[in-house]
Amino acid sequence: MKFTCERDVIVREISVAQEIISSRNVLSILSNVLLLVDDNTLTIRATDLKVSFETQIPVEVQEAGSTTVFCDKLLGILRSLPSGDIEFETSQSETFVIRPLFRKIDFQLKSISSDKFPEIQHAGDDQFFEFSQSQLIEMISQTVFAVSDDETRYFMNGVYFENIDGDMVMVATDGRRLSYIRSDSDGELPDFPGIIVPPKILSMIRKLASGEGNIRIAVSEKTVFFHFDNQKLSSSLIEGQFPNYQRVIPDEQKYSFHVDRSELSEALRRVSLLVEKSRRIYLKLSEGSIVISSEQSEVGVAREELECSYEGPETLMALNFVYLTEPLKVMQGDQIELQFTEPTKAMTLYSVPKTSYFHIVMPMQLD
Amino acid sequence: MNTDQTGDPLFFHVDLDAFYASVEQRDNPTLLGKAVIVGGDRNLRGVVSACSYEARKYGVHSAMPAAEAARLCPEAVFLPVRMERYQEVSEGIMKLLASATPAMHQISIDEAFLDMSGTERLLGPAVDQASRLKRLVRTEYGLTASIGIARSRLLAKMASDYRKPDGLYRVHRDEEERFVASLDLKDLWGLGKKTRIRLAQLGIETVQDLRAQTESHLRGHLGPSTGTYLYKACRGIDPGIFASLSRKHSVSTETTFGHDVTDWDTVETVLLQLCEQVMYRCFRANAFGFTVTTKVRTEDFHTASRQKTLKRRVQSVDELFATARALLAAGWDGTPVRLIGVGVVSDTTRVNRDQPDLFGSADDSDTKKRAVEETVWRLRERLGVAVHKARALRDAQNDGENT
Repeated sequence: MKFTCERDVIVREISVAQEIISSRNVLSILSNVLLLVDDNTLTIRATDLKVSFETQIPVEVQEAGSTTVFCDKLLGILRSLPSGDIEFETSQSETFVIRPLFRKIDFQLKSISSDKFPEIQHAGDDQFFEFSQSQLIEMISQTVFAVSDDETRYFMNGVYFENIDGDMVMVATDGRRLSYIRSDSDGELPDFPGIIVPPKILSMIRKLASGEGNIRIAVSEKTVFFHFDNQKLSSSLIEGQFPNYQRVIPDEQKYSFHVDRSELSEALRRVSLLVEKSRRIYLKLSEGSIVISSEQSEVGVAREELECSYEGPETLMALNFVYLTEPLKVMQGDQIELQFTEPTKAMTLYSVPKTSYFHIVMPMQLD
Repeated sequence: MNTDQTGDPLFFHVDLDAFYASVEQRDNPTLLGKAVIVGGDRNLRGVVSACSYEARKYGVHSAMPAAEAARLCPEAVFLPVRMERYQEVSEGIMKLLASATPAMHQISIDEAFLDMSGTERLLGPAVDQASRLKRLVRTEYGLTASIGIARSRLLAKMASDYRKPDGLYRVHRDEEERFVASLDLKDLWGLGKKTRIRLAQLGIETVQDLRAQTESHLRGHLGPSTGTYLYKACRGIDPGIFASLSRKHSVSTETTFGHDVTDWDTVETVLLQLCEQVMYRCFRANAFGFTVTTKVRTEDFHTASRQKTLKRRVQSVDELFATARALLAAGWDGTPVRLIGVGVVSDTTRVNRDQPDLFGSADDSDTKKRAVEETVWRLRERLGVAVHKARALRDAQNDGENT
């Protein structure tokens, strides 16, 4: 195998590959990235057995072939090299040579034959459907942060994708808060069973996708595939039953009010400076005002009052402030709408005007 | 028997007799009547976890080096610790005990307090209830239990010891002082050998002698905690040693050594066994916590508790053992130890404390899935336990060879 490629082009793809490879694993074939050249194309593959990544870039091929090398070191070497063309070549003795053109630099990495590399799952072309990239990125952003990291509730360790009346619905929850978004697909989405997708691949998509055009999605029994912009990502699905989230979405809430989104975010950021590990803050609502305060602690106490459009009886509730700040980061609009019925029941957050998403937060107990 | 329907508190202390060894004898009847020693090995530098009454006659007791036990009792049958089996039997028995009262507090794998207050009018005399429990344990599990009955946990505990094995003894309200006075000083619960020696130096050889002392005198000579404890205990007053049980939401266990222990290897070996018990119970009870607690009671009856809160929930014996060992090691200055305990405080999941669940607890599918997942963990943990245990023992051996 022998090919030539521009350093800046290959370094970008190898750094994605390295992100896929779980560096915590002991060294094994999975620590390696697979390089395959043929027809003036370099195919790069990496996998941690759960998430797999494949991309293709045009290169100048002198001799077709394939190999695998330790990705971490390859990336380190490539990053250290100056821009310009680099020649890559496998020698007979399982060695991978990296040689920048017109320079006296020569790296030789031990390689492992590509037939030791695990097979990567593929889906048939006819299984794919198209979905807007920008919409998917937005849907990931609105949900992925709410995924549970509690391994005992593994079925909440991913974002639930569901086709409802031809629209894509994505839901994530850790059991105490829930984020929901529904796509605007004009009911044209093909049917697929509900799936629980681990957050790793979703974060990768959010990072790698250009946001232009469509992404192609396929769902098989145990795997989900996303193809976009020359890149193919797949992930094994989380097996299990996603909780019946519909029943925790409040139908109708008794009170509803608007508050400035950035003012609320800023106030939470300040008050949270004095919030302890419990993450508990208090919201005290009275006509036209919301007071956010921390718990009295050894360090001190913080309190901030904001204007809001609340009309109703004076109400005190306690919340994990992170459950407010995280959705506020991704919500749009100048104002947000908060809805609740009583301090012990779930609160709902909407953008103003209402859009395709909302966030639900279960308050903490008072006292 | 219609006495004592007085509205007084009523506690049972249930203690399974020579538990590990009895389970072994029950599972293998050819061992019946033989000196059975569980834990350790003639040739290994292990520690006796438990032994049958036959072995105790030779002076063998738990936490004794196996080699010494082998010397004392050459015909003893040494068996490996089968923690899963004991746990399984214990679970069944504890469930049976819990069916007697909602206020059942398991102290360790083979010991529990039952708060039976107010049950006499409903269920009949306490002694009859206790006999029924003993009978159930015998018919369903082939094991004997000793039960002590009294107004306080301390007295109930001493009463269960009074007629052991297969004992049943009730200390009536008006007999409390007499009962305590009838005990040998060594049977006064919580009184270690060193303290007894010091008491002897003060001319105190019996419970009556002890009772003749003023509290300040005892505190002055034995230190405030021991002094006050003894002043109360010899009068049958429970100083509240186990009172915190009902409030704490934790899974914990503890063990009192047969003699005061001074070598770290023994402490570690026993600690590992306690950690296994706690972790299995956590898996079983679906109770996980961030906080590991340890307890050490030294010969002078000084009790030190330490705790450490981890970033994540304690999920394996390995994690629990490593944390607990570090806590104990940090707090131990070589003073002889009479009791160690370890626990996991559950549900104080710091961040999520007081945080109700959106889905409530009624979501059956969640609960079931969780159960399945934890079964898988339990299996994994079992393998892990075996590996670590072997390692712990091997390390201990190597240490021995190096010295």
